[in-house]
Amino acid sequence: MSKSSQPIDDFARELSRETRDAVLSSVVTRTAGRKAKLEADYKDPDLLRRLAGKVKQHTVEHLDEYLEQAEAALTKNGAKVHFASTAESARETILEILRNKGATRMVKSKSMVTEEIHLNDFLEKQGVECVETDLGEFIIQIDGDTPSHIVQPIIHKNRRQVAESFEKHGLGAYNDDPQTITHRARKHLREKYLQSDAGMTGANFVSAESGRIVIVTNEGNARFGMAANGLHIALVGIEKVVPRDKDLGLFLNLLGRSATAQQLTVYTQFINGPRSKSQPSGPKEMHVVFLDNGRSKVLASKERDILRCIRCGACLNVCPVYRQTSGHGYRAVYGGPVGAVLSPLLAGDDFPKYADLPKASSLCGACHEVCPVNIPIPELLLRLRSRANKEGIKSAGAPPMAPFARMATSPKLWQTAMTASRAMNHLPITMMPIQPLQAWLKIRTLPKWRGGEFRKWMKERGGVNSGGRNE
Amino acid sequence: MSEARDTVMRAVRQALSDLQEKTPLPEYDSEILICAKYREGEVGGWLEFGENFAAVSGRPLTEVGELLVFLKEEGNDSGYCDPSLKERVGTVLEESGLKVHYEYEHDKVDDYTFGITRASGVIAESGTVVLNDEDTVDRLAALAPWVHVAVIENEPIFETIPEAIENLGDSSNVIWVTGPSKTADIEGILIEGVHGPGVQICLKLD
Amino acid sequence: MLMATCLSDVFFADMAKATVEVLESVGCEVIFPEDQTCCGQPAFNSGDFPAAEKVSRYTADVFAGDLPVIVPSGSCAAMHFHGTQLLFEDKQDTGEVESLAGRTWELFDFLVNGLGVKKWEGELNKRIALHHSCHTRGTDTGAAMETLLGSISGIELVKVGTPEQCCGFGGTFSVTFPHLSGEIGQVKLESVLEQSPDLLVSADMSCLMHMGGLAEKQNMDIETRHAVQVLRDVSLASQ
Repeated sequence: MSKSSQPIDDFARELSRETRDAVLSSVVTRTAGRKAKLEADYKDPDLLRRLAGKVKQHTVEHLDEYLEQAEAALTKNGAKVHFASTAESARETILEILRNKGATRMVKSKSMVTEEIHLNDFLEKQGVECVETDLGEFIIQIDGDTPSHIVQPIIHKNRRQVAESFEKHGLGAYNDDPQTITHRARKHLREKYLQSDAGMTGANFVSAESGRIVIVTNEGNARFGMAANGLHIALVGIEKVVPRDKDLGLFLNLLGRSATAQQLTVYTQFINGPRSKSQPSGPKEMHVVFLDNGRSKVLASKERDILRCIRCGACLNVCPVYRQTSGHGYRAVYGGPVGAVLSPLLAGDDFPKYADLPKASSLCGACHEVCPVNIPIPELLLRLRSRANKEGIKSAGAPPMAPFARMATSPKLWQTAMTASRAMNHLPITMMPIQPLQAWLKIRTLPKWRGGEFRKWMKERGGVNSGGRNE
Repeated sequence: MSEARDTVMRAVRQALSDLQEKTPLPEYDSEILICAKYREGEVGGWLEFGENFAAVSGRPLTEVGELLVFLKEEGNDSGYCDPSLKERVGTVLEESGLKVHYEYEHDKVDDYTFGITRASGVIAESGTVVLNDEDTVDRLAALAPWVHVAVIENEPIFETIPEAIENLGDSSNVIWVTGPSKTADIEGILIEGVHGPGVQICLKLD
Repeated sequence: MLMATCLSDVFFADMAKATVEVLESVGCEVIFPEDQTCCGQPAFNSGDFPAAEKVSRYTADVFAGDLPVIVPSGSCAAMHFHGTQLLFEDKQDTGEVESLAGRTWELFDFLVNGLGVKKWEGELNKRIALHHSCHTRGTDTGAAMETLLGSISGIELVKVGTPEQCCGFGGTFSVTFPHLSGEIGQVKLESVLEQSPDLLVSADMSCLMHMGGLAEKQNMDIETRHAVQVLRDVSLASQ
C-alpha cells in the first residue's frame, strides 16, 4: 500500500496487528468499565463533569493567585518550594536538591511530568541511579521504551514480550505468568526501595487552601518511595493546583472512575509536609518543584482549557485514532486527544512540527463526552487547525478550501457542478488521477452519482424558491 | 524570592492579563459527590464499610480469633504488631504459637509476613481504611508485609468521602487505603500484591 | 425550509425525497431554497476559517427569514448550531448566522420534539442496527430516532457494541488519513455485523456512505438506509 503524507497514518499502517489488537481490546474494555461505573454510581455523572470543569477552569484562570496560596501553605507545612520555567531548569533544580543531600539512588513513582522533562536520562548521566517503580514504567525502563498510555504505560506490550525482557535483564528464567512477573518485580524493587536515598513523585492535585499534595497509585509504589528513604521530591506542573480541600473530593471521585473504573484508587496520599515527628519512616525533607515548561504560554492561548486535564486517560481509551496507533503514534510524551492538543502547544516555536496532530481526528467528540473536566477537545483541535492554516503550515495536511468556498457561494456554479457530477457514472473513475478520490476508492466503493436529480424532482413538485436572498 | 519563581509567576500573570471574563468558582454541596448506590442502600457504619471493603478485596473482621485462623491458614508464622496492641491482639496470636515482634527492625523488613498497625478511621462509602502518620507506628509496617492488619477501636467511621476529607485534620500525612495493592499493567490482568500488601484486613475491636 | 445537504445533491437524491415526503405526510409545507449549497463544514474542519465563514454567511443568507430549517443530517445541523459558535466567536454582524443557528433542526429532533410525532404507523419486520452519528452526541436526535423507529411494529432495534466508536468518515479525514479512517470504520462495521442486522440505519448519510462503501468493497452483506427512508418506505408499504 502506498503511504499517505501523514506520519500518524503511516505509523498506524506499520503497527503490528498484534499490538493494535492489544491496545484496542484493552481500551474498549476500559471505556465500557468507566461508563458502567459512573452510571452505576451517579444519577447524572455529567453534572459532576461539568462542575469539575468549571472548578478547574476557574483555577486555571486565577492560577497566579492559587499558586501563591499553594506556595505559602506548602512552606508553612515545612516543604521547600521551587519553581522552574523550563525543563532544563527543573532538571538542574532536582539535581541540586539531590547533591545537597548526597543522594545517588532515587526511586520514582509514575509521573508523566518527569517523562516530559526527560529526567531519568539526565540524572543517570550525573551519576544518580533512577529506578522506575510502577510495574509498567519499570518494564518501559528496562526495555529502553517510552510509555504509550498515560495510565497503562505498557498497553502496547503483551505478557510474552514482558517475560522476554525479564529474562534478558536477569530477573528470572522465562515465565509469562503475570503473577510471577509481578512478584519478581516486587522482590527486585523492594531492594531498590530499601537502598534508596530519595523518592521522586509527581502530584495529582495540590490544594491551594492547605498545601496538601495528593498522589494516587494502585500499586502502593509512591507510598513505598516515601517510606523507605528520607527525601521526597515532587515535580508538579503549575496547573495541578485546585482551590480547596473540598474540591479534592470532587476530583478524586472523577479521577478513579474515569481512569480505572474505581471509586477510589487504592492508595490515596494526602501529604502535608515531611513525616510527623513520631514517625520513624519517610521523608524528613520534602521539596516541591513547580514546573512551567510552556504551560504559561498555553495559559495565554485560547486553548487554555486543556490545562484542566487531570491525566485520567479516558480520552485516549475512547479515541478511534488512539485505538489504531497507541500513544507512540503521537511522537511525544502525551498521546491521544489530550496529546494532540498539548504537544503542539507545549512545543512552543516547534509548533509546526506537531501541527499535523490536531488534523489527525475525525472530530467525533468521544473525548469531550468522557472528559471528567469537560474539556471541549474537538473545539481545541479546530482552533489549532485554524492556527496551522493561518500560519500556512503545509504539513498539517489540509486540502485547499478556497475553490470549495468559491463554489459553495455561487449557486449557479454549484448546481452546474452537481449536475455534471453525474458524468462520473460513465467515467473510469478508478483510473482518474485525483488523489482524494483514489484514496477513497482503494478501500471503499462510492454510491451512484445522482447530481441534480433531487433538485429536478423538487422543482417539478413546485417546492423550490430562491430562499431568503431575494426576499 | 528566587529568580526562577519570579520568571514563572510573571509569565503566569502576563498570560492572564488580557483575560476579560473569568470563570467564577462554583459553589456546590459535597453531598452530590456521594455515590448514589450508597445513598440508596445506606445502612451506614461498620456494616456498610465491611460490605464496601469486601467489594475491593479487603477483609473486614471483628474478632481476634478470626484473624488468628486466617493468619494460620495462610501459613503466616512471624510478624509485627504495634506494641500498643500487644494486649488485645499480639498476645492472643502468640498464645497460639505465632511469633510476634513488637519492635520494627528496618533490616528485617522482609521477615515479617504480617504487620498489625492502628488505623485512624475508616470510610464506609468507599470501603477505605484511613491511616495517618501519628497513629501509624511505622509506615513500612503497614506497607511491606504481605498481610496488613489495620485495627480500629474507637476511631471514627466516616460515612462518606466528603466527610473524611473534612476530617483530614492536621496530620502531616494521611493515606487512604482502599483494598490490597494491585496492578493491571500486564494485559489488563488484575494482580494483587505489587509493592504493598496482597491482603488488607481491617479488624474492629469493641 | 429544507436544507438537503451537499451529499444529497451529489448522491442521495432518494433520501432527500424521503425527507420531503415524510415532512409533508405530517402536515408540513416544504420549501427548498434553490440557491443552497453546503453548510461550510469541509472548510471549517480543515481549519480554513475564512473560507468557512464565507460559506456559512452565504448559507445563512439563503435561509434567511423566520421559518424552521430542517436538515436530514446531524452533522450539517451541528455545523449550524455548534460550529458557528466557534467560527464567529469574535465576529461582528452575526445576526443572520445566529438566526439560522436558532432555527436549525436535525430532522428527527424536529419530528419528535418539534412536532410531537412520537408514533409512526406501519409495519416492517426487520432487525435494525442504529448508528448514532458522532455529531449528534449530546443532542436529542438519537433518542428521537429510537422513539420513532421503535414505534413501528415489527422493527427490532439491536444494540451495537462499542457505541462510542466513530465510523471513521470525518469528511476530508477519510482521504487525508486513509488507513486510520478505514481501520476505524472496520472496527465499527464489525460491531454492527456481530448483531447480524437486516439494515444499518443512521440519521447521517455520510456515516452510512462510509460504512456501506467499506462493506461493499469487501463484499460484506449489509444494507444501509437513512432513518427517514425507513419511515417513508413503511408509510408507502402500508398505503
